[in-house]
Amino acid sequence: MNGIFAILFLLSAVVLLFLDPDGFLSALLKGGEKAATLSLSLLAVYCVWLGFFKVMEKSGLSEKLSHLLFPAAKRLFRSQNKEAVYFASCNLAANFLGLPGAPTPLGIKAAEKFCAAREHYAVDMLFVLNATSLQLLPTTVIALRLAFGSQQGADIFLPTLLATLFSTALGGILVFLTRKRS
Amino acid sequence: MKYLSLIIPLLFLTLFVYALFKRVKLYDCFTDGIKEAIPLLLSLFPYLAVMLMLSELFEASGLAAKLTAFLAPAFRFLGIPPEICKLVLLKPFSGSGSTALLSEIFSAYGADSYIARCACVAYGSSETVFYISAVYFAGAKRKISAVPILIALFANFCAVILGCFLCKIM
Repeated sequence: MNGIFAILFLLSAVVLLFLDPDGFLSALLKGGEKAATLSLSLLAVYCVWLGFFKVMEKSGLSEKLSHLLFPAAKRLFRSQNKEAVYFASCNLAANFLGLPGAPTPLGIKAAEKFCAAREHYAVDMLFVLNATSLQLLPTTVIALRLAFGSQQGADIFLPTLLATLFSTALGGILVFLTRKRS
Repeated sequence: MKYLSLIIPLLFLTLFVYALFKRVKLYDCFTDGIKEAIPLLLSLFPYLAVMLMLSELFEASGLAAKLTAFLAPAFRFLGIPPEICKLVLLKPFSGSGSTALLSEIFSAYGADSYIARCACVAYGSSETVFYISAVYFAGAKRKISAVPILIALFANFCAVILGCFLCKIM
């Protein structure tokens, strides 16, 4: 990651130096501004879902759920770490249902716990499954299409679902094949 | 689509009623959960900021546009309409940017056109990979390996090819 960052940053900076030196700082500031506004909306989302998950934890529901999901999920993540696997499987479920914002705090908790146990394979798998998107229903896209006067806004549902299932499966298989067990 | 908006309120209702049965102090418990929000955000923020700055810089330098122009013929060969090239390349970097681009495509080609449908599938079947990598690997103390990121990018790209093909036949 350090390498990618250095190369992209330096290349862009050099190009800007010649073409538009004023654009350099303003681009950086715009990025920072985006981070600030995005953080605020993320904070709002975290408040709602972290509250929700805490209630779930205290009511004993998460324990029941994790019992249910553990046998399948521990194979997927190759981990015996019950708590981490629970958060990871909830993250996948929330992704699948497309609950806006819910997957991220769950995913971070899972990633932290996997990392603490030095289970890198599990973190990689979790990341790839998240990054290939396994949303059942592309709600944002459909809403946007309808807003632009589409006659059949939902007709992209099936191609999107097939494509995303394919990418998730492919990503999962590639992680399985290439990443070493920890 | 209407029943979908019921999922979230029902989820909350079910959980809270169940929690009351289990004699959970709802108010205390909910606030306890919220307490974790700010530390979580703080741990994330530096990675988020640096990633967004980098993508802004990359876009502003015109390198993003150059890359798009350079890759357009290859995309056409793979069955991806060149009009959505930019979207496919931008999506891994910026969620809000690609949403804006998707609306542009809708207004330029019509929301029901083949190009718009391909764009929808390209948008819906992939994620903002770099943002997610920043978030998920934030806690990792080890050096971040590029392999999982490349896997995710590759899998998403294959999904776009498949999606454009499916749009043609479906």
